[in-house]
Amino acid sequence: MALIDIRSVCKDYATGPEVVRALDRVDLSIGAGEFVAIIGASGSGKSTLMNILGCLDRPTRGSYTLAGVDVGQRSADARAIVRNRLIGFVFQGFNLLPRTTALENVELPLVYRGVSARERRRRAIGALAKVGLADRLTHTPAQLSGGQQQRVAIARALVTDPPLLLADEPTGNLDTRTSYEVLALLQELVSLRGLTVVLVTHEPDIAACAGRVVTVRDGRIQYDKRSEEPARAARMLLELNQGVAAAEQGS
Amino acid sequence: MLRASVKIAFSALSRSWLRSILTTLGVLIGVASVVVVTALGRGARERVGDQIESLGSNLLFVWSQPVAKSGVRTAAVGLTDADAVAIRNEATAVELVTVYSDTKVQVISPYGNDQIQVCGVDTNYLGARKFEVLQGRMWNANEEQVKAKVALIGQTAIDKLFPGQDPIGHYIRLGKHPFRIIGTLKPKGQSPFEDQDDRILIPIGSWRARINPTLGNRVQLIMATAKSEAHTEAAVRQVEAILRQRHRIVEDEENDFEVRTQDAFKQGQEAIYGVLTLLLVTVAGVSLFVGGVGVMNIMLVSVTERTREIGIRMAIGAKRLDIQVQFLAEAIALTLLGGLAGIGLAVGVIELMKRSLGWSMVLSGDAVITAIVTSLVIGVVFGFLPARRASRLDPIEALRHE
Repeated sequence: MALIDIRSVCKDYATGPEVVRALDRVDLSIGAGEFVAIIGASGSGKSTLMNILGCLDRPTRGSYTLAGVDVGQRSADARAIVRNRLIGFVFQGFNLLPRTTALENVELPLVYRGVSARERRRRAIGALAKVGLADRLTHTPAQLSGGQQQRVAIARALVTDPPLLLADEPTGNLDTRTSYEVLALLQELVSLRGLTVVLVTHEPDIAACAGRVVTVRDGRIQYDKRSEEPARAARMLLELNQGVAAAEQGS
Repeated sequence: MLRASVKIAFSALSRSWLRSILTTLGVLIGVASVVVVTALGRGARERVGDQIESLGSNLLFVWSQPVAKSGVRTAAVGLTDADAVAIRNEATAVELVTVYSDTKVQVISPYGNDQIQVCGVDTNYLGARKFEVLQGRMWNANEEQVKAKVALIGQTAIDKLFPGQDPIGHYIRLGKHPFRIIGTLKPKGQSPFEDQDDRILIPIGSWRARINPTLGNRVQLIMATAKSEAHTEAAVRQVEAILRQRHRIVEDEENDFEVRTQDAFKQGQEAIYGVLTLLLVTVAGVSLFVGGVGVMNIMLVSVTERTREIGIRMAIGAKRLDIQVQFLAEAIALTLLGGLAGIGLAVGVIELMKRSLGWSMVLSGDAVITAIVTSLVIGVVFGFLPARRASRLDPIEALRHE
């Protein structure tokens, strides 16, 4: 059974007297363990789709089933619980709490789940170790690089063990090398741990790392392509490093 | 969850500590006023009670009073020993009657000298005013009759004249006249008028003969005790009737004397404390309200400033109640800090008032609890709206907020 199942979802926004249709009868099904990139220009409706997938917003019409649960028309609090239990978020701007340590940031979703302090700490340390930040527990976001901040955000998304990770332009604020580092981490999570990742981007070479690319345009899904052999971010990172090394040797 | 909220609240407040302090100032002053008011009220009640008790129970004071006759205000005729005797003999509701005159005199002892209240009294004085002899003895009727130059001395006067000495048997000079100290008085403390221990008692006859010969057989004050509290009113009526008759005051003329009971003093004191309490309660109410509005204002600012943080928290699973609790906890933390600081301030103010004004104030547990509860309530009431506003934010809008 698909993890995500969206049936003829519409989303209308009322801007004054006009009604803007941001999504128009979208059908989308994503299976567990898939790495899907949603690509589209700004204003294409991909952010709206992302918000609905993330249970941050409700569709005007249509149904949304996540992990077998109908979550389309739930109340604000019910959606908060769904977000806490089933979804991990990674944002372009990292969205870590400022002046708060990496550890406390990662613990936060568990706070809202009512996990005990000791258990929170244990799991947060584990999640930070998985993203390679075991030695940065007490650093605040200001003391971390962009790539490290995004890895803290990924640790925060994963600390609750959700089946779905939603990444909204996760590499938008990062340089090429760090972007590939983050993508390599996401690919590893998909292949090793069976995580489902839905990544929103407007960059085709970032989307190329996903096994499936969904192109959104004018509120509809224009293409839905699967790629048998997506680009390996780890390998591209390696090549990038070799390129640098070669350039250094050459000079 | 609650512990986490409290921790979050305090770390949020410590980030803008100056703002937090300024915000809590109103609550601080309000709570301090509440505590001071309570301490003052309690102190007043205890003090008035103590003073009444120390005066001797059911005590009546009789003063002479100048009267206006045909528009001319004449000098007070005065009260005499004979008036006291008449009251003693005729007033059935009265138990003890004593006469009293005093004046400040330069008193010289072998060890020092000072201005001290010298009171001429009779042997009933100790009983009526509930004084007790600590050491030595009271003079007897015979000594009173012959205007003996003997004296009893209070503790404060001893400290002034005989520091560290046993005064009994020593002579002191009141003006030109040497008086032998035959007894000391047990300390009684403050009365509504004065330090009751800063005095020297001598027989009324000696006082009139040696201290103030101009008074003749008159006395400044007659004191009488009613047989019981229930007899007080009857005693007042009887004393008035006897004195009107003796002073030949006709039907519609006003008294040339005044009879006062302790109730009058009590009411006077309570009126003063009442006005003060009203004033402080008003200050407390206004500053608590202003403080509360200040807290609400700063919380609204805080919600706006931290909209993005709220969005993040909502995205990762904070329910509306979680957000509401967080901001409510912050508001309460603010007011509670203000309240605790207010209690601290109140303790200081109470200490200061005690020392500089000599007011008796009692800081009670109730006052502290009232203060804490008040600040909690202010936090909840004025924190509710901002917290609710925070909890109703749309997560998407909030995340987009810069």
